[in-house]
Amino acid sequence: MASIPNLNTLRTGRGGPRLRGSRRGGRGASSLGDDASDSADVASKDRIIQSTDYDASSSRLSALELGYLTDPYAKAFLKPGEQIPRRYPIINRGTYVRSTAIDKLVLRFLQAEPGIRKQIISLGAGSDTRYLRIVGDHAGQDGVVYHELDFETNVAAKKAVIERSPALADRLQKMKDGGCSYHLHSVDLRDLPSSLPGIETDLPTLILSECCLCYMPPEQATTAVKYFNDRITSPIGLVIYEPVRPFDAFGRTMVSNLASRGIHMQTLKRYSSLDAQRQRLKMAGFDKQGARDVHQIWETDAWVSEAERERVERLEWLDEVEEWQLLASHYCIAWGWKGQTFDSAWGGIEGARTSAEDRDDELG
Amino acid sequence: MSDLDKHIEQLRACRPIPEAQVREVCYKARELLIEEGNVVGVDAPVTICGDIHGQFHDLMELFRVGGDVPDTNYLFMGDFVDRGFYSLESFLLLLCLKVRYPDRITLIRGNHESRQITTVYGFYDECLRKYGSANVWRYCCEVFDYLALGALVSGAATDLEPTDSSFAAEPSQTQNSMSEDQAEWEIEVLNSTGQVMNRYPRVRTQNEFSQLSNPPSSPGQSPSRSGPPGSGASSSAKGSSGNSGGAVLCVHGGLSPLIDSIDKIRLLDRKQEVPHEGAMCDLLWSDPDEIDGWGLSPRGAGFLFGADIVKCFNHKNDLSLICRAHQLVMEGFKEMFDSSIVTVWSAPNYCYRCGNVAAILELGEDGSNAGYSARGNGDANRSQGVLQPKDQERALGPGRRYRVFEAAPQDSRGMPAKKPVADYFL
Repeated sequence: MASIPNLNTLRTGRGGPRLRGSRRGGRGASSLGDDASDSADVASKDRIIQSTDYDASSSRLSALELGYLTDPYAKAFLKPGEQIPRRYPIINRGTYVRSTAIDKLVLRFLQAEPGIRKQIISLGAGSDTRYLRIVGDHAGQDGVVYHELDFETNVAAKKAVIERSPALADRLQKMKDGGCSYHLHSVDLRDLPSSLPGIETDLPTLILSECCLCYMPPEQATTAVKYFNDRITSPIGLVIYEPVRPFDAFGRTMVSNLASRGIHMQTLKRYSSLDAQRQRLKMAGFDKQGARDVHQIWETDAWVSEAERERVERLEWLDEVEEWQLLASHYCIAWGWKGQTFDSAWGGIEGARTSAEDRDDELG
Repeated sequence: MSDLDKHIEQLRACRPIPEAQVREVCYKARELLIEEGNVVGVDAPVTICGDIHGQFHDLMELFRVGGDVPDTNYLFMGDFVDRGFYSLESFLLLLCLKVRYPDRITLIRGNHESRQITTVYGFYDECLRKYGSANVWRYCCEVFDYLALGALVSGAATDLEPTDSSFAAEPSQTQNSMSEDQAEWEIEVLNSTGQVMNRYPRVRTQNEFSQLSNPPSSPGQSPSRSGPPGSGASSSAKGSSGNSGGAVLCVHGGLSPLIDSIDKIRLLDRKQEVPHEGAMCDLLWSDPDEIDGWGLSPRGAGFLFGADIVKCFNHKNDLSLICRAHQLVMEGFKEMFDSSIVTVWSAPNYCYRCGNVAAILELGEDGSNAGYSARGNGDANRSQGVLQPKDQERALGPGRRYRVFEAAPQDSRGMPAKKPVADYFL
């Protein structure tokens, strides 16, 4: 790109001049990279990142429609008159694995040490319905404090959906009555305020990043994780779902295809393998770490039972077996934690390095 | 210029032809195809191609690399449609070429040439989008039902006439292990500009050609596994050893536990939608795999079959090679089971996402008949329940020239209105 002023000068400290005051978001975009140009450019890049929520939610609706997933709340996010898009079988299967695997980690957290109130902070949550689904069914007597952080645009959209959907509003009210609290924050993860309302620093806390931190410059992604790690005094865990392996032929093509849409996964090359993800978690202060790619998760009974796999295989005729293996091996779920609550929640989940990862070493 | 030539010209420009003309072409194609057997006989020389999947611009690249019709004799092993954005133009172009030059192009059926699969994987939607109705899809599906299930290539040369083009990079040791005048080349891998990326001499066992003073070591060690740096193609070719020529069976998927001879393929009633199971389904859906015997396929249709199945089938049917498509292979082609079967994949950067290269396979014509003696017919169908001991004759594989190519450059696509964007999880 042409010579452009570095936005760093505009956006350093929290007290400094803010770029378009109204424009604060959750999913970080490249505001500080060399290719950042001016506020309009950042805004347009932010919009592209915001729009990735549509990819996620529409893929989710496609998978729901075909019976991969059950979610009574997702359809409320369809715009009036909007058709449910149909995705290819490999996309539906990938959406299924991603959603199911994260749900599993969340569920085990909620079920660990029953009787203890817990907290979940979902970064770049967009139109995700996990709070309504999983937490609603498994909050327990002590309730769950749930935070969703996202760009103002996405938060406003979500609030509007909740307002016009009696089913969602009703569910939220019932959960509130049951002791849960739900907080939607319009914040920019690149520029977090010194405190977020409603965060209870003494609760065991699970942080979720489902394709969120990967859009941020690596240093800012690290800072965002540190922000929570510094404040939470109880056991803390982090679940990351994002692409990996950008250096092989499929990965290189993925990087260039996404770039043509204006999407830059800024942390991808730094955390390019499962081991790099584990290292990242370790460096961030999570004593224990695990990572698996989506293909491994799909093939592992502990994640997806044989019966469940057979059920899903019957939903659609998935001819593209080789392509599925390629695609699914380029996404990973990594989880790290410290503290007893997570030891009992996740301690039994296999996530250590396997020999299958040896080939990652060759590609760097 | 005939109407047909006009259609071809228009389709070559990636512009669909009107519905009425599609109907007419499909009708003519069916009349031609109905005359073909389930297993079409094809004489070498022939250029064998794997999956195309609607990647029209890459099909043009294929013709650029492999030569145009009718100059080159082509055999396409199915999966013309689905996934890519130009299934319609790709299939209709191939079909028009078939009608125009019936003896210079052979089309056999892939598992995507099916009503059920095309409604899931894109061809149906594409027809609806481009014509506003499903009529064209229906005409095409009727043609699908008449496509042959396989082809039998005969008269292929066992050795290659080496191209006189230069090496793309420093030749590996393999190529030097035999002096040029001694060399009987079995495999040659060329890049899209015709430069040699790798070349492998035929490996003969001691008792067959004891006069060879410098026999290369065992087939597994002889050729280097990787192409030159940057060539993007690591050759999976290992070379075959054997001593008598045989035909090459081309089929989209692979073998079936219900089919032990080519004649049994000939007996099938093919003029129908691809069934969910049975011999016809298996031929279009099965995959070779590193197993013994037969296994369940992860695709939910067809079977997995091991080296023993292939070697037994080839021996019984006097085949030197099975050539199939169906599976994405990142290097464009992959020989397995001591070169008794090869996968050829002709859709580069499959789905605009996979980053793979593509290949086509050229089999030369056996002009001289030298070093090659066809087996008598009597041998062909004799019962061979189990593999024979290793001194048993094995059909000598044809010389194989692979041309490896990459996706057509973006600017050659003339920037379609909707730029191909692959789906990812975001």
